[in-house]
Amino acid sequence: MNKLSIFITLLTVSSLGAMAQGNFSPYSQLGLGDLEDGFYNRTSGLANTGIAYRSNRFLINNNPASFSAMTNQYFTVETGIRGSVTNYYGTPVDPSNNQSGDITFRKLNMGIKLSKNWGSSIGLVPFSTQNYEFNVPYFLQGSSSEIANHYYQGHGSINKAYWANSYEFFHHLSIGIDAGYLFGQLDQKDILQNPSTGASLTSTTNTVDLNNLYIGYGLQLYGKLGKKWEYSLGATFSNKTDLFASTNRVVLASDSSILQNQELSQTYLTLPATYGVGIALTHKQKYTFLADYKHQAWDDVRSNTYTGKDYTLGNSDKGSIGFEISKKKTFYNSKVELSYFQTGLYYGTSYLQINGQQIKDKGVTVAFGVNSLKSPLAYSIVLQYGIKGTQANNLIQQRYANVTFVVNYGALWYTKGKKYD
Amino acid sequence: MTINNYLKKERFFLLSSILALFSLVSCQKQPNLTFGNTYVGDNNGANIVLVDTSTVSLFTLFVDSTSTAGTGFLQVGQYDDPYLGSVTSRAYLQIAPPSSPSVDVNDSYDSIGLVMLFKKSNPFYGDTTQIQTFVVNQVDSLYQLGSFQSGFNSRSVLPLDPTPLGSASALIAPNIPYTSQGSGDTVKIKLDDNLGHTLWNMIYNKSDTVNKLVNWLDWFHGICISPGTGSKGVIYGFQDSATMRIYYHKAGVYSTPAYIDFGITNKGQQFNNIMVNRSTSPLKNLVLPTQNPQTPPATPSSLTANASYVQSITGLSVKLTIPFLNDIALRPDYLSVLRAQLTVRPDLNSFSTSWPLPPQLTLYGTNLTNVPQGLIQGASGVQNGNLVVDFLHPLNMVYTYDVTSFVKAQITNTDPTAKQNGLLLEMSSNTGTSSFARAVLADATYPVNQRVTLSVYYISLYPHN
Repeated sequence: MNKLSIFITLLTVSSLGAMAQGNFSPYSQLGLGDLEDGFYNRTSGLANTGIAYRSNRFLINNNPASFSAMTNQYFTVETGIRGSVTNYYGTPVDPSNNQSGDITFRKLNMGIKLSKNWGSSIGLVPFSTQNYEFNVPYFLQGSSSEIANHYYQGHGSINKAYWANSYEFFHHLSIGIDAGYLFGQLDQKDILQNPSTGASLTSTTNTVDLNNLYIGYGLQLYGKLGKKWEYSLGATFSNKTDLFASTNRVVLASDSSILQNQELSQTYLTLPATYGVGIALTHKQKYTFLADYKHQAWDDVRSNTYTGKDYTLGNSDKGSIGFEISKKKTFYNSKVELSYFQTGLYYGTSYLQINGQQIKDKGVTVAFGVNSLKSPLAYSIVLQYGIKGTQANNLIQQRYANVTFVVNYGALWYTKGKKYD
Repeated sequence: MTINNYLKKERFFLLSSILALFSLVSCQKQPNLTFGNTYVGDNNGANIVLVDTSTVSLFTLFVDSTSTAGTGFLQVGQYDDPYLGSVTSRAYLQIAPPSSPSVDVNDSYDSIGLVMLFKKSNPFYGDTTQIQTFVVNQVDSLYQLGSFQSGFNSRSVLPLDPTPLGSASALIAPNIPYTSQGSGDTVKIKLDDNLGHTLWNMIYNKSDTVNKLVNWLDWFHGICISPGTGSKGVIYGFQDSATMRIYYHKAGVYSTPAYIDFGITNKGQQFNNIMVNRSTSPLKNLVLPTQNPQTPPATPSSLTANASYVQSITGLSVKLTIPFLNDIALRPDYLSVLRAQLTVRPDLNSFSTSWPLPPQLTLYGTNLTNVPQGLIQGASGVQNGNLVVDFLHPLNMVYTYDVTSFVKAQITNTDPTAKQNGLLLEMSSNTGTSSFARAVLADATYPVNQRVTLSVYYISLYPHN
């Protein structure tokens, strides 16, 4: 256990240091920022297709109903680190300086099979991220000739601490509930600069603290189709939720004296109801085909406080498919997985519609994973390439390549000498 | 392979992968993104708002006398200014004989004259294409201040002998300089030979009158140089090194020309008397002081052809008030003044190369007393406006001032007398007493780009709803 603690600590510390760097995502200024749609787990190589996925070793956050699939008395810890390189294209981008890269810690979670039918998991995962810095030269209000520069900066994230539980009924049905607590802080700066000297004329810093409970529900139905095929159907649901936001606004003069330091009245940002369905078909316990569809009903929360010029909210949809080949070896009466290969495709629309264009995201993933036989570790490397957004209507397109490294530690606990069923 | 070696390889692969992740991105930098000005975020942050439509009220301040003593220039001439009226200047000065002058019995007197010098950098104002006549009169009383006077000024006059000592006409090209008398930068006025002979005899007789200054000044009080009747168009500022010169021939084998100079003495007492007739000018309604002493009365621009006037040598300066400045601070989005700039635009028709503008106008603060209350300092200290000279684009010929400190103090000042606080424009101290240059400043009835404007840049933040 000491080794495990050291391992987790080292990973966390190194990753937190790495989080200081972050790829700019210019449209994360709007709304809650970039909503996280990756799980950094076993399904990452499947384009995060996993609502119907069940695993006896890995933590499948895609659906809280999946935790009941863990091996009895199994304890597991998982963390994920992602390195990303993004190229930016479009009119607003300086072609000579259009690339950025970052490496970020993405999650840390643990799971345990508490009883034969009850799986549980706790963890910390990202929910949304805001990270942008860009310039907007504009004419001073009241002038048609004098220009100042808005230098927008925004950094921060909303994270989710969760405790998810799932229970299996009748060997074919699992129901799960994910009790999450969303919390985070977004620091948004608007620095007005003299365009010729870069000197600050005034700056406004909004520090937004967000928090509330966020509950998700999941269901999985699974069984066999004949001798060679297995099936799994999954569904997830989260209800519309208000995210309480308290904002502190500080306005500084050019000499950094405070012009205003105001605690704004508390408001809330409403998260929409989300739905997801998925299917997984496995042939001979080796080949698995998966498909997911997710929907976020942002149209229903359009009237909340997500206001802004030139952009609106719209329903978000995402579809993905995945394919996995699992290499297993039989030890005694059990099949043990040695390694796996995954690939996936995804296509989705963001909840943001800017300048009349809905931001779209599409890409492909490939992964290779190894489960160590000589140690309690399993790890996988996931490669992802995607294109987000468009260059039309003066927008920015991001083409990104990600490398995700997921490490899993697993062990059987409290076995009373009994190792396997 | 032993289990230990296998694990070592596995760990090596694990660490290598993590290091590869870091090295992949560690050398990258963030992109430079610039959106067009149509992109506006929803941060509800502070903005900068420019208000350049505040009413600026103009007043002409008038002091009935200005210091014109010891300026270094003998201002002589007369011109008719379509804006300020008829302006006439006369120069009073005292002259004195050289120490112990002497002539021999065989030396012969020739003539006496007044020699005035006009150097290239000397001030002048008006139409220099007209021939000017200069008349010299002798001061007919003691050259001294009257009761309760502390110094000579523009209104000072001394009685003159009505019979001129002499006069001369000349055309002066001031920028060369050259005079039509053909003697370079010199204007010579032949004086009365009776005076010359009298002085010649005094010198020959070694009279105390020419050997003792006190006696001399009791006898010859001084002279006044005036523009001749009908002489119009320009005022010239001659050097205060003018001399009264006796020309004679020194006897010898060959008779040689010689002269004796009576130079200016008591230069601090030399003064220019300036008379202005505004009866037919836009300034005919100028409010004049009625008491002495009195704070300078202020005449609103509406009474003076919708303009106000700066000409320090004739006692004119301009006061600016911003009566509705407080209204900016009452706007719901007003937070603080970022900066403020005053742009002073002269009336486009009022200046030309013949009627040049003052190169500098110094900005002071003032209050209900209408007297300067201290310089309005800018980022680099004293502000003189520094006129942009661009006759090809006369709209660009403006004086600009940073008035941030004034506006910051005034915008929230609710004192009952605050509305009488303002800004005062005068010619800078080094030119104000020697230059007749003037500025005609247009009031709010003129088009925006031709009038005095105050640009207030304030930090705007709408209250959170």
